[in-house]
Amino acid sequence: MESDNRGIAVCLTLILAVVLSLMPLSGDWIVWKPNFLLLTVMAWIMRWPNGLGIIFAASVGLLADLLLRSSPGHSMIVFALCAGALSLVSRWAKYLSMLQRTMLMALIITLVAVLEASIFMAYGRPSGIEHLPMKILLSMLAWPFIDLLIARSQPRRG
Amino acid sequence: MANVFNRSSTLLRKLLAVILLAVVLMIVDNLTPWFKPAYSAADNLVRPLYWIANIPLRVQEWSANSVTPRSEIESDNLRLTKESLIYHGQLQRMSDLAAENMRLRRLLNATELLQDSVLVTEVIGVSANPLRHTLTIDRGTTDGVFVGQPLLDAEGLMGQIIDVHKGHSTALLITDSSHALPVQVLRNGLRSIAEGGADYNRLNLKFVSPTADIQEGDKLVSSGLGGLYPAGYPVGTVLSIVRKPGDNFLEIDIDPSAEIDRSRHLLLLYTSRDSSADAVE
Repeated sequence: MESDNRGIAVCLTLILAVVLSLMPLSGDWIVWKPNFLLLTVMAWIMRWPNGLGIIFAASVGLLADLLLRSSPGHSMIVFALCAGALSLVSRWAKYLSMLQRTMLMALIITLVAVLEASIFMAYGRPSGIEHLPMKILLSMLAWPFIDLLIARSQPRRG
Repeated sequence: MANVFNRSSTLLRKLLAVILLAVVLMIVDNLTPWFKPAYSAADNLVRPLYWIANIPLRVQEWSANSVTPRSEIESDNLRLTKESLIYHGQLQRMSDLAAENMRLRRLLNATELLQDSVLVTEVIGVSANPLRHTLTIDRGTTDGVFVGQPLLDAEGLMGQIIDVHKGHSTALLITDSSHALPVQVLRNGLRSIAEGGADYNRLNLKFVSPTADIQEGDKLVSSGLGGLYPAGYPVGTVLSIVRKPGDNFLEIDIDPSAEIDRSRHLLLLYTSRDSSADAVE
């Protein structure tokens, strides 16, 4: 029963993340916008490491590719790499303070984004790496809200 | 300890399997159109979410309209009436010039210019992927929208339709890195190709020789070559020209005429060539 509730909560938070991703912005805000879907997936994996992992992240990544019209497989790799890195530290990640979790999330996102940008650059495609610092900063600002939302979505024990 | 290693190796195996699958999917997508139905299904699925995502913008527009004082609305109305009068006057002069132009072209035995008609459309969604410059509009097959149809705003060319559904369509913007547009300098007719990049406010001009007659501030219009975009629509203004010693071509940055990341109401262009093609079909 608890798992069912969690499943519904996961779906609802992912829909919210897609809506936030689709919100129209103008100017530099378009490229600075945090990847809300990735942040939500990471928050869920941190909070529910035994139930969600690489396969969940890869599935959401594939869905993101289709919804956001990027090459299918691209977000899948990014999401899976983030989930893989998180899974390695997931046993103790849930005991970290908010600030420590935010720093951990920023570190993982930066590493994966740099890897992604270098692949783009190797293919001679625009990487948008110049916007990365601002994007990471805005992701760090958005993270506490997403993390709190996921924490509230968890069924209470007792 | 053994558990930790087992866990790590399982993780690694899963990660490798996912990466392998993703690479296969990317290759399949590049080589075949098999994912097109999946994209269409995802587009239909996401359409209601676009409506929800646009709510803050609609509320902002509604509140901006609601709090505008009456005096401001009256002065805006007066200004728009005056502008309309001026444009009507200019249009009369334009129709006279167009008739004269047509007569001269007939004398020169040149082909007549195509007459274009437009359909107003509204942007209902923009791509959430910053490296993929697309937007979704509220017109589809029921309005006669077709793949390859040019899209413009009040200032210039915006892009072309790449995917059509019953009630909505997806357009690829001219600033997308996969888009190339044949252009010419308005001042002297110098031809080139304008390509997109990662920035919504920049285009790059390709294959312009260092000896070419081009300068900052030059206006660029579509050349009509390639047959997709009709000739003569504004594309942008030359912003900067960099001459690098040893390079075969100049590096030229263009400021697009269209307000690519701001325009909300756009125009779908129907040229008489499209109409005649439809008639033939």
